[in-house]
Amino acid sequence: MTSATVPAAAPLPADTRMRRLRAYRRMARTALRSLMAYQTSFLFGMLASAFAALSMLYLWRSVLSSGSRHGFDWPQMKAYLLVAFVAGSLVSSYTDYRMANRIRQGDVALDLVRPVDYQWGRFAESLGFVVYEAGTAVAVALVAALIFGGVPLPDPHTWGLFVVSALLVFPLRFGIVYVSGLLVFWTQNYVGVQAARIALITLFSGALVPLVFLPEWMRVASAYLPFAGMASTPALLYSGGLHGSAATTAVAVQGVWSVVLWWLARAMWAGACRKLTVHGG
Amino acid sequence: MAELRRKLWLYRRLLGAHVRATLEYEADFWIMSLSAVLVQGIGVVFLWAIFRSIPRINGWQFWDVVLIYALVVVAEGLSVLFAQGAWTMAVTVNLGQLDALLVRPYPPVLQVLGSQVGMNGLGNLVLGGALLFAATSHVDVVWNAGRLALTVLLVISAAGVKVGLNLLTNCAAFWLRSPYSMFAFSMHSLGELARFPITIYGLVVRIAITAVLPYAFMSYFPAAAVLSAGTARWLGLLTPAVAVYCLWLGVAVFRHGLSRYESSGN
Repeated sequence: MTSATVPAAAPLPADTRMRRLRAYRRMARTALRSLMAYQTSFLFGMLASAFAALSMLYLWRSVLSSGSRHGFDWPQMKAYLLVAFVAGSLVSSYTDYRMANRIRQGDVALDLVRPVDYQWGRFAESLGFVVYEAGTAVAVALVAALIFGGVPLPDPHTWGLFVVSALLVFPLRFGIVYVSGLLVFWTQNYVGVQAARIALITLFSGALVPLVFLPEWMRVASAYLPFAGMASTPALLYSGGLHGSAATTAVAVQGVWSVVLWWLARAMWAGACRKLTVHGG
Repeated sequence: MAELRRKLWLYRRLLGAHVRATLEYEADFWIMSLSAVLVQGIGVVFLWAIFRSIPRINGWQFWDVVLIYALVVVAEGLSVLFAQGAWTMAVTVNLGQLDALLVRPYPPVLQVLGSQVGMNGLGNLVLGGALLFAATSHVDVVWNAGRLALTVLLVISAAGVKVGLNLLTNCAAFWLRSPYSMFAFSMHSLGELARFPITIYGLVVRIAITAVLPYAFMSYFPAAAVLSAGTARWLGLLTPAVAVYCLWLGVAVFRHGLSRYESSGN
């Protein structure tokens, strides 16, 4: 980077906490900028997921043309699928892709000696990416909504909860993606782990098919695992499929898993550092 | 003829070398194979979940759709096993590694196609084969030697369509100067639309995957030919011709790209 904006001469604040915050903020901004620099690649990636969303919309339009199923009619399903699409586009691949490459090539050794926390650093970078990911995904969803004849507005009763739930998607997805990125320390393979993660998440988060369509045991399992919170919960809150105490519980499950995954990742990182072998010098 | 035999023999040697290299990383092999089974298996669970609530979609029943889906998985498996190299083109072309290929006495397009063996191919092939078997034994069709031969021919042709289109879309590497194959990946993703009966789509989408990039010929039309359903059946019988066309187009565009290739670096 030829960034001339680094204020080398400015005295660093005495408080290390402030200093770290500044570092994280800069990492987030750099991440966003690097995504913008490779915009074409990113946009083709977005196009790929837009095609996937398109096929889901068409498929469900045919399924629901003969009447509603499991309480979903076509307008509700449209809203559900599009919210799930946007949720699924967040923290989609850059975070673990970068981590995996650095782990496999041993560059992670440099990250170990940096005076910032590794996990917070990746969190900050993901936050940078997510700004762009969310922006483009919402734009794609709006276009899709126009093509398919509009989408109802969010359910007014659960609007507040929807916002909270939508915000919780970020730490939740970050947790899962980060943990699967750390798995590379043990597997040394990234492509397979990533494909498996994406497949599991798309099914159990309800991104393709609302969880009520699944058998009872799968539905219950995904509701209490971190998966439902990654797409199903915000999408249901938007489309009016979650009310009352069930809605509050679902959002609480999102919050609890965000925290649990964060600490699980910490434990894994501690284990990974003991296991790390970097060749060469 | 002898020339062709030599080319095929060399291609097999090329792939064989990559298989041996690949199998050196045994854990990788298992992770990739299992993840392929998981990914495609989840796709079937998804279909099954939908058909739990509705008996047929646009006249297609569960096992009919599984047949379409299985054809995609098998075509994917075959293309990944025998021609995964297409996906390396973005790197090969844009990081200047193509030069080495050009000086060898073997067609560059075959060198590129044979430059990698996808480890997930076997998983795809095993699961796809199982699905194909299950679907063909459940669909409402009388099996005889003729239909069986037709099915085998169509499965191989479907893989040809996929390989041709993979090569064609990855040739974008010659024009888009980027070491990432994201353009081809997005087109691959368009091809995934062919996992469902294409009658569910709007006209524009149907034209796109039938006439522009004929991904529908790797699954929907061959399935229709096997199931003898409607006008699509006659198009389905054209699958071998479409496969030849796609492969020819891929090679032609590759040659064209090669003619404007200027290498990179010093």
